[in-house]
Amino acid sequence: MRLRNLSVLAGVALIAASACTSTPAATSNPATSNPATSNPATSIPATSNPATSNPATSNPATSNPTTAPITSTAPSQGAGKVITIGTELPMSGGETANGVPTQNGVKLAIQDAMAQNMLPGWTLQLNGQDDAVAGAHNAAQGGKNMTTLVQDQTVVGEVGPFNSGVAQVEIPIANAAGLLMCSPANTNTSLTYPPDALQYRTTNPDKVSYVRLAAPDSIQGPAGADFVYNDLNAHSVYILDDTETFGVGVGDSFQAEFVKDGGTVVKRDSAPSSTTDYTALFQAVASQKPAAVYLAGTTPTGMGLALKQGRTVSGFETIPFMGPDGVADLGDGNTQGSTINIAGQAAANVYGTVAGVHDIPDAATFLTNYKAAFGTDPGAYSAIAYACAQVIIQGIQKAVAAGTTDYAGIREAVRANATAAGNSFTTIIGAVSFDVNGDTTSPYMSFYKTDLTLNNNVGGWTWIKQQAFTDPNANGNASPAPASPAGS
Amino acid sequence: MASEMATTLRVRSRIPRSVPYTAAALVIALLLLGVPQFMNAMTLGAIYALIALGYTMVYGIIELINFAHGDVFMVGAFASLWVLTTPLGLLDRPMNDPLQLAVTLAAVVIPVMLFMGLVGVIIERFAYRPLRHAPRLAPLITAIGVSFILQNIIQVVFGPSPHPTPQIFPKVDVLSVPSFNIGDFAVAGGTVRGLNLTIIVAAVFLMAVLQLFVGRTRLGRAMRSTSQDREAAALMGVDINQTIAITFFIAAALAGAGGVIYGLYFGSVQFNLGFFTGLKAFTAAVLGGIGNTVGAAVGGFVIAFIEVFAAQLGYSRWSEVAVFSVLILVLVFRPSGLFGQALGERA
Amino acid sequence: MTARTVAPRGTGSPRTAFFQFTREHRSLSIILAWVVIGLALPAIVLLPPLSTFQNQVVWVDGFALSGVYILLALGLNIVVGFAGLLDLGYAAFFAIGSYTFAFAASPQAITHLNIPFWPMLVVGALVAALFGILLGAPTLRLRGDYLAIVTLGFGEIVPAIFLNADAYTKGTNGIGGIPQPQLPCVGSVCVHFTFLDPFPFYVTMLGILAVVMILIYRLQDSRLGRAWMAIREDELAAASSGINTITTKLLAFALGASTAGFAGVFSASKLGNVTPDQFQFAVSFTILAMVVLGGMGNIWGVVIGAFTLYTIQSVLLKELNQFFQGQHVPILQNIDFVQYQYLLYGLALVGMMLLRPEGLFPSNRRRRELHQEAAEDTELAPPTQEIGDS
Repeated sequence: MRLRNLSVLAGVALIAASACTSTPAATSNPATSNPATSNPATSIPATSNPATSNPATSNPATSNPTTAPITSTAPSQGAGKVITIGTELPMSGGETANGVPTQNGVKLAIQDAMAQNMLPGWTLQLNGQDDAVAGAHNAAQGGKNMTTLVQDQTVVGEVGPFNSGVAQVEIPIANAAGLLMCSPANTNTSLTYPPDALQYRTTNPDKVSYVRLAAPDSIQGPAGADFVYNDLNAHSVYILDDTETFGVGVGDSFQAEFVKDGGTVVKRDSAPSSTTDYTALFQAVASQKPAAVYLAGTTPTGMGLALKQGRTVSGFETIPFMGPDGVADLGDGNTQGSTINIAGQAAANVYGTVAGVHDIPDAATFLTNYKAAFGTDPGAYSAIAYACAQVIIQGIQKAVAAGTTDYAGIREAVRANATAAGNSFTTIIGAVSFDVNGDTTSPYMSFYKTDLTLNNNVGGWTWIKQQAFTDPNANGNASPAPASPAGS
Repeated sequence: MASEMATTLRVRSRIPRSVPYTAAALVIALLLLGVPQFMNAMTLGAIYALIALGYTMVYGIIELINFAHGDVFMVGAFASLWVLTTPLGLLDRPMNDPLQLAVTLAAVVIPVMLFMGLVGVIIERFAYRPLRHAPRLAPLITAIGVSFILQNIIQVVFGPSPHPTPQIFPKVDVLSVPSFNIGDFAVAGGTVRGLNLTIIVAAVFLMAVLQLFVGRTRLGRAMRSTSQDREAAALMGVDINQTIAITFFIAAALAGAGGVIYGLYFGSVQFNLGFFTGLKAFTAAVLGGIGNTVGAAVGGFVIAFIEVFAAQLGYSRWSEVAVFSVLILVLVFRPSGLFGQALGERA
Repeated sequence: MTARTVAPRGTGSPRTAFFQFTREHRSLSIILAWVVIGLALPAIVLLPPLSTFQNQVVWVDGFALSGVYILLALGLNIVVGFAGLLDLGYAAFFAIGSYTFAFAASPQAITHLNIPFWPMLVVGALVAALFGILLGAPTLRLRGDYLAIVTLGFGEIVPAIFLNADAYTKGTNGIGGIPQPQLPCVGSVCVHFTFLDPFPFYVTMLGILAVVMILIYRLQDSRLGRAWMAIREDELAAASSGINTITTKLLAFALGASTAGFAGVFSASKLGNVTPDQFQFAVSFTILAMVVLGGMGNIWGVVIGAFTLYTIQSVLLKELNQFFQGQHVPILQNIDFVQYQYLLYGLALVGMMLLRPEGLFPSNRRRRELHQEAAEDTELAPPTQEIGDS
């Protein structure tokens, strides 16, 4: 009995203690302006109320991997009606290296927009959500977060998610609410290509509310296949996927294109992320002597380990390995959990593709600005997330110029603007536009190679080239046709 | 509980009769898999066998499936990582001097085994001993709780991503077997690496020491008698608490050795390593006959071969399902395992 | 079993009267309780500390999802709490329920059936019960430890099959486009189940919970319930007393799995899609933690335990993070409690088993059963027995 009362009291005390969470959760950063203290009359909320974080003072990147997502309060300098861009990314645990730099790209865009006074009379803010549960991205949590963003009426656009599996749960919710989602990283074709994409637009089938700037798997796989066949001159390949949505998808499209090029796939294996022993798999195929290996998956789901163990099997020590952007995470040897960090010396002679553009116009300025704001180098998707934010901001500008001032109207205008035929946006990665399904009309693939001598033998990735592809559905034709390179 | 026949720590089993069968099975496996894959399976089997021994010893003495044992193995792997990198400061560079290598290995294996043994004793003392007389459900749930605690402590301290372990063993090829054909069937040749041989020899050595200990020493006799009939053993002057503590110490130390070997061979450790590896090792223990130490060792190799055959034939996706199916089939149709005695269970 | 106190515990008549009323009019009091809870919860979250965490709509959405976990915990409670069979693979039945509805209703599945939600609730439960019997059958001769491992094995095999048989189940992408429930309009009042409005789902879940709880209480008080308790306490003695342990155990699995079937159908409909990674071991472990914390065998205890744990997991841990970061508490601000949650669960399980195995909200019978050593020492006091549980 006493213990029971104690537990009840403890629970009440906990709730009471968190009632004093009326602090702007300004993540301690001395840089730039301080948040003006918000309206003392309201108890200051954490999420889902209009006031959200101040992007200018955030500094989560100082090597603290456990920083929670920033949804602090306090409108920044400049009074004005609050308008919000949401982010829905995996921010904690093993996913920090994916989500945090991407969110920083959005924060930088908001900061620049405010500094350049792009929306006079409005204060642009961020509502950041985290879909990682116990360190890994979680679809159900993503759904809850999307509901939170949708319920926040000041949110007129969202950047994210990072993982295709999470997007499957979120797109129906955003579609029902008419909120624009712009993903910098999703690559699964079923999210946009008909007829599969219709299964996610159950409420408003005619309203496309999901766009993305990453080249889909239908392009990334074949891009890798052509690279292995032509550039690396390897005509036989062993494909290993990680049984996940992304891995299987990109592995399938790689396989199809490689066979079409004239190469042979000596074996295709699937190893779930719980696999600890990849040597047996490589050993089983060693006698067939493939000239290259394609790791269709991501490093967090085992591909880094597969690389390391695969190299120990004779016959695989020196042949080139290639992977999609889950393997080419562009992290250096000191970054915890990056491919080079896990594989060590085995990461030599490894190639990768990233579903995005590398050579952005004015790259140096972006690099400098990002570093000044966050203290680290940008991640693989920072610039792309910045571009997504710009798409939303330009949509807001257009809506406001046309006289719309209510949140619902702006939200719909942002969505319609991004998906209108013939739309075009000037962004930091160049001019972007979206086709009728929400895919980017100018998909780029960037190719990278590992170089273990970089940074005093710490190791890193160097950029080789980028290739523009044609979007199969750019002319409004909604049926998926195979992509082809538009010159390099 | 007194009416059921308790499992006992079996030392003697029908080894003499099954040696030729075992030898024949090994030769067939070698021919089917080819030399390198066979060595791979033997190494994996050695690791599973070391962990399975721990499961079987603990079950033999207090009839508890120590759910946390797989995670003890994982902590051992991380402990060896820590010892290699922090005090010894070693990098991913092979040591070519055999004496230096031997000394380094000893400097890693012995402290890790002692430390893990201590961890095992602590777990038993605080999580299992108070519940020795509680209903069966309680220590089982506690074991699950301990398993998650261990996993999460490691996750918090080391982070969730895989950690590379320093590969200090040089790539020495001991034997080179050329490929040959038997009729139309091609047998893949390859090299037998020094690392493989060392691991197998070390594991067999540890298992032999264990057999001697349990079979010949006074403490070993105490363990056997406790597992047969705890009250009678107490009446004969055996200190039950100490005996059980020693059992846990040995079990955990063996798992720790398995962890060191794993780090050396596979080159990477992660916090969730213990879950599936532990389950496979448990299946091995059940397959061999729970409570039977020789059975556990053999079972470890059998499970490893099943897994490697699945990979060889391209069914790697189904390897988890295969191992679990083996477990369920054994428990349903032959609960005593390959070597064990009848367990006398009733519905 | 008429449940009347022979000797009241003597702590005052309003309390006794309350318990007496709830025992005599059990079904009515359950319905009333859920009505009160259902009305109170959306109101409570409008109050200051809670309203700052989340919007009311998001809270209600969370309540509907927590209902799924409560159903799962109630089902596992039958298996673990009533019958004493430790089932570590309970998420398998959840998966079966979800996929059953996906196959029956989604236009994306290979079976183009388009059966609506309401009949599928019952059918899903029946299918799950059937699999409960199928998966429970091999475990009948096994004792506690082995039973746990075998059920764990099934808990891994079932999602692995859904993942790998991708020709039929669309593998890792899962089956999307699962429709929401439809209700005919009453006059001019229409209720729409959409992705944006969680209230219809919330009310539906309340209804399901009320019905399920009434049935479970009936089961507990029936011959079957007593047979379960007998098996839990001493299986050999139970068999000797003429209880058919095979049927009893199979029924425990079947009925326990059926609530997972309800939960699976509801969850598939609410999320709109079903993928294999929604059913990993972490789910089974979380539900077990909920049952253990709430009190194995105590129905309302399990409900409260499940709800509390879910709310902590999805809301309070994040709030705790922000609280400590906001206040810049020296060490605690660097701890990400969300990452630690399984550590906390593990500690809670161990602590509970050591200190209070009967759970936070135990029943007297359970407490006596689990602390029988202490009880034996005080045997000399005259028995003031209550018949039935509180």
